[in-house]
Amino acid sequence: MPARPTRKAAAAAKPAPVAPNKAAAPAPKSRKRTVDEAKEESDDEFGEVAIDMNSDDEDASEGDDEDEDEDAEEFPEEEGQDMSAADLDEDDEEEEDSEDSYMDGDSIADSQEENEDDDDDIEEDSDDEEGRDFDALMREDDIDPNFGHNLNEPLPEESDYNPIKRQYPEIDPSYDSDSSTEENENTVGNIPMEWYDEYPHIGYDIDGKKIMRPATGDELDKFLSTMDDPDSWLSAHNYKEGQDVKLTAEELDIIRRLEGNRIPDADYNPYEDQVEFFSSKTEIMPLSAAPEPKRRFIPSKHEAKRIMKIVRAIREGRIVPRKSGYVPPKPKYYNLWNDSEDKPREEHVMHITAPKMKLPTHDESYNPPAEYLPTEEEIKEWNEMDKEDRPKNYLPQKYNALRNVPGYGQFIQERFERCLDLYLAPRVRKNRLNIDPESLIPKLPSPRDLQPFPTRLAIEYLGHEGRVRSISVDPSGLWLASGSDDKTVRVWEVSTGRCMATYHVDELVTSVVWGPNKDIAVLAVSCGYKVGLILPEKLFSPELTLHSEEYLKAGFANVAATDANAKATWKQPTPAEYEQGIRVWIHLQKPVKQVTWHRKGDYFSTVAPDANNSAVLIHQLTKHQTQQPFKKTKGAVQRVMFHPTKPMFFVATQRYVRQYNLQRQELVKTMMTGVKWVSSLDVHPAGDNLIIGSYDKRLCWFDLDLSSKPYKTLRYHTQAIRSVAYHKRYPLFASCADDGHVQIFHGMVYNDLLQNPLIVPVKILKDVHKRVDALGALCVEWHPNQPWLISSGADHTIKLFS
Amino acid sequence: MGKLQKKGKAGAAINYITRNQALKKLQVTLADFRRLCILKGIYPREPKNKKKANKGSTAPSTFYYAKDIQYLMHEPILGKFREYKTFAKKMAKVMSKGQYSTAKTLAENKPIYTLDHIIKERYPTFTDALRDLDDALCMIFLFATMPKTDKIKAETIENCQRLAAEFQHYVLHTRSLRKVFLSIKGIYYQAEIKGQTITWLVPYQFSQDVPTDVDFRVMLTFLEFHQTLCGFVNYRLYSDVNLVYPPALDLKLDEGGAGMNALIIESTQSSANIAKSVNTPVTAVSASLSKEEKQRLQESEKRLKTLSSKIAHIQENGEDEKASTEANANDDSIDEFPTQLPNTDGSSSATVTFTDIQRASQHLTQFQSLFSNCYIFLSREVPRYSLEFILRALGAQVGWDAVLGEGSPFDENDDRITHQISDRPVQGHRFLSRQYVQPQWAYDCINAGKLLTAEPYHVGKTLPPHLSPFVEAKEGDYVPDQNQFEGQTEDLVMESGDEEESEDEDEEEDEDEDESEDEDAEHKDLHQIELEAEAKGVAFTEFEAKENKKKKAATKTSSTTVATTRSANKKRTAAEIEEEEQKDLAKIMMTNKQAKLYNKIQYGKDKKAAEVQKLTEKKQQIAKGAKAAASKKAKK
Repeated sequence: MPARPTRKAAAAAKPAPVAPNKAAAPAPKSRKRTVDEAKEESDDEFGEVAIDMNSDDEDASEGDDEDEDEDAEEFPEEEGQDMSAADLDEDDEEEEDSEDSYMDGDSIADSQEENEDDDDDIEEDSDDEEGRDFDALMREDDIDPNFGHNLNEPLPEESDYNPIKRQYPEIDPSYDSDSSTEENENTVGNIPMEWYDEYPHIGYDIDGKKIMRPATGDELDKFLSTMDDPDSWLSAHNYKEGQDVKLTAEELDIIRRLEGNRIPDADYNPYEDQVEFFSSKTEIMPLSAAPEPKRRFIPSKHEAKRIMKIVRAIREGRIVPRKSGYVPPKPKYYNLWNDSEDKPREEHVMHITAPKMKLPTHDESYNPPAEYLPTEEEIKEWNEMDKEDRPKNYLPQKYNALRNVPGYGQFIQERFERCLDLYLAPRVRKNRLNIDPESLIPKLPSPRDLQPFPTRLAIEYLGHEGRVRSISVDPSGLWLASGSDDKTVRVWEVSTGRCMATYHVDELVTSVVWGPNKDIAVLAVSCGYKVGLILPEKLFSPELTLHSEEYLKAGFANVAATDANAKATWKQPTPAEYEQGIRVWIHLQKPVKQVTWHRKGDYFSTVAPDANNSAVLIHQLTKHQTQQPFKKTKGAVQRVMFHPTKPMFFVATQRYVRQYNLQRQELVKTMMTGVKWVSSLDVHPAGDNLIIGSYDKRLCWFDLDLSSKPYKTLRYHTQAIRSVAYHKRYPLFASCADDGHVQIFHGMVYNDLLQNPLIVPVKILKDVHKRVDALGALCVEWHPNQPWLISSGADHTIKLFS
Repeated sequence: MGKLQKKGKAGAAINYITRNQALKKLQVTLADFRRLCILKGIYPREPKNKKKANKGSTAPSTFYYAKDIQYLMHEPILGKFREYKTFAKKMAKVMSKGQYSTAKTLAENKPIYTLDHIIKERYPTFTDALRDLDDALCMIFLFATMPKTDKIKAETIENCQRLAAEFQHYVLHTRSLRKVFLSIKGIYYQAEIKGQTITWLVPYQFSQDVPTDVDFRVMLTFLEFHQTLCGFVNYRLYSDVNLVYPPALDLKLDEGGAGMNALIIESTQSSANIAKSVNTPVTAVSASLSKEEKQRLQESEKRLKTLSSKIAHIQENGEDEKASTEANANDDSIDEFPTQLPNTDGSSSATVTFTDIQRASQHLTQFQSLFSNCYIFLSREVPRYSLEFILRALGAQVGWDAVLGEGSPFDENDDRITHQISDRPVQGHRFLSRQYVQPQWAYDCINAGKLLTAEPYHVGKTLPPHLSPFVEAKEGDYVPDQNQFEGQTEDLVMESGDEEESEDEDEEEDEDEDESEDEDAEHKDLHQIELEAEAKGVAFTEFEAKENKKKKAATKTSSTTVATTRSANKKRTAAEIEEEEQKDLAKIMMTNKQAKLYNKIQYGKDKKAAEVQKLTEKKQQIAKGAKAAASKKAKK
């Protein structure tokens, strides 16, 4: 009876969460709802006593929906009241208590309690709250008499029915309205208060007005006040307000509790009974009144499908049912190989087995012989080298006992590198040539079997004061003519080295050649733009001299030779020159480089490389006539040569040697030399072979019957070859080069066409001529009868080797 | 006219495939491809013409043999890799959903691959497998000493240790160790198993610091393969000598740090029968012997039965080994009878080779029992893991300090000990009955093939240099010390070399006879010989050279007694000069190709010669320095 109003409030407040559902049909009710209902039933019991509130109960019994509506609408109002009550409760303890009990009624826990404990508990409750209930009764009139009325329903009789208007205390809506004791709240916020140390004020109140610092006495005052005030120990300094505040009993209690590591709130019960939101009790009324769907009564097709899938998988063996029991593990290793059946892998080119690791050498020993230890420079060099460049990946080291040997730091890296090599390095089969290098050197007949050939220096011809560019031995083999850069032509006695005659010309002598005819003594000399024919008077018998004189002069009778724009003009020498021995001058348009005789001694040919198509001219001595054999020249002509037996003519340009038939006037053969620049040319006395020397150090032997390519190309000189020459009678040939060496070969040509010529190097004459201005030996010439070699060089000397 | 050949349809263009193409074809990731390549032993190739192989492109790329990749397509492991990938995906999905029961089922059906078929495929015969065992052993011995890390599992290390110990036991049992070498990198061992020499390197037992720049995925894939290979090889090796595989592990000993001794090596029960069946034809010659053998086998069987229960099984094991070697010896003696019979009458070349073989086998058996009369004790500072292995592998009885682990058959005070290996500057207490030697002694003994005198190896002495036994000195190589182990044989060894020496002497005598005959020939009329030569078509110079050579040889032989005069030396040099000149001349006539090759070979030769020269010079210098120091000391 006394708790009645609070209970009522609880009942009213309770359904608030369910309120949104109120529009739903009344029949299906949740368990929650049933709880409320049960409670209301209990309320009804009390209802009999509280007659004055009967109308409320009647409302409730009238219809649930209405009841709910009413509750829902009422709730906010109720809440507002609660709030205000809560606001107020801090100051007034008594009031707080009552309000607490009021709140208790509001909580769900209480309603639950009511449900479960029924009457006994209620009795207890009432016992507990006896005192407070009284207070509540005292304030019975505080409660709104309209409390519980449905506001939606019209209240026509309100005005007359309830004339007394209740006055409620003003509610301050500000946030800190609960801290009603403080009039002037300092609103500076949670800041260090020393910021205001310099100012007279300590902050601002809610209106923005300065709150002045309250007056504080000095230390003595403080002391006195503490002495005076027995409660001073209970006070604490509030920095925000700048004054001492006396702690209330509750605050002290909180402090005490905090000190004792207890929960500061005395009323808080940490061991509250569990709230059974969803109780184990099944409720009678279902939440939904919908009929059970059909699917609940028929087997699921989808499940059937899934099951069938599994069944099928089991049938097909895709799903192996879990094995039951212990399955002994298969032996990990077994006899994999069966010798009788195993066939070794067939050899295949593409299958390369991994090479084994290299076995360690002496220097890898922990205690190697002392000579294997690296010197300091070697260690330094090794350290500076790139890892990849090092010939070995370790430095030999010596430890005098096994106990001193440390672990090898690179062990794992090296094993890793080996692993990488095994699967990343391309394997290539490399055939190691296990041959004796000596076997590569061709077996040649011993030079001693191929004698005679010149081996040693016999005579030196001294006298020239310039490079001796050209030398020639006369057909009898007695006289040697030489042309030099000192603008002289000298004739020497071969056997003694005595200079027999000197002819001064006005240009550098590029070529001197004796006429091949033994009956006519004539020396062709090319110097500058002219070619001179010299008759060395005193060297030969008077008959021969006379004969030669006539032979040389005979041509001047031929008048027809005078042509205005002839390529060459034949001229008489001046008397002084005639006195010297020069008999004929032939003037050409370009400087002459080479003169060469036809085997019969009537014709000779000159080469003037600069004179385009008239580079090669053939002159006839007897008629003093000049012919131009080629209308067009192919390339710069280097050398020309008459065939020793046939009417053939060889022209060497820079890269090719061409053989022409003079009778038929046609090209017979072009020989591809394969060299960059031909320097010299000589034809074998039999006429079937020829050799060329080149400025790119090569000597090529051509077999004219064989091929247009060289039969042999030899490269042994270290500098450009200047001259090559065949011996007229012996199977010998020689070459000389700028390196100053002269090489002598045995070059045997067989009559049998099937047998290839035999070329055997027999002698290297080293440093025959000194190198002067990058020029060494310039010309080699064989003695016509003897196996003697004569060479001339840039060091102004001529040497004979026998 | 033949059919028109289209470009890129034959030859290098279809024989090779680049790595990226291979990846695309196999539909695998690069990591999977790498694993496949490692497991299957597929390696890149170097086509002769890269441009042709790369369809005209010269971009750098790795080429594989197209057929290798084609075969990879059907590789069961490739399928397993894919299955595993799907498994991992399923597992992740299930786990994220929290369906643990499904996860359990999945885990039970986890795809597992084996490498058995790959081993068989890569090594069709057992010999092939043995030939490729070097790398596997190196790897396994390395990983046996590795610490456990997040990448290297403890089980892997354990398995490696086990495989290594098993292999070592086999080598012990069959006494197939041949060479050992202490290098700065580790210890090299060489064993000869079924005619294959197997060399492996074992690191010194220090804790390996695991480098960070090593890709352990690659290493572990290799290790996976090598473990399988080694397992199968071990099985085969054990079963060939009738031992149980896998040998049981004595846990107590293992915990006590017994190392490889923790494995219990047992012969199979059926081995007795097999041995009988094998031995019957042999023993048919002498029935009494077969009886003996039977008895012995029974005894050994008895012993084996009690073996596992007893703690001191190692000693017995040793005896067992002895027995087996004895049996071997008996077999050898039986073999020898027929071989000696033809030896007595015939002196043809065939019989000579036969005796050679016999001698070699005799030599081998002697070598295998090199330390058989030795009781060797290991001090606590020497590496037992290596010394015990090499000594026991050649028949020694080895005991060790308790610090080195449990299971030593005898302790330091044993009277039987002949050698004690210790590695300390000064030996404190000495037993007079034994030699105190440094560890190198054991290694040098094995390499020398005989027991060396212990004197230079005594504790505290400066050791003689330790040379690699793997170097076979060829002509022109630098040989540091030619007669290092000469005349150092200890008394303990049976006298074996004498016979050989005497035979050598005989040969020398024969040679002498030949030479004297030559001299006789020289006394013949020289002119007549010349004529004969000419008739044969020999060039005079050649003939002369021959004559000269003969003369030279004659002078050489005579020079042993008479000192060679200077003039003779000069003459020779003149001849040499001439020869040199001739060589130079002949070189002119070499073709380009030949010249290049010749120069290449000559370059290599020169380089080698320079190295040898450098070493000899260094040695001379060192010797000089040592002499000077010695003389200084003497003066003082």
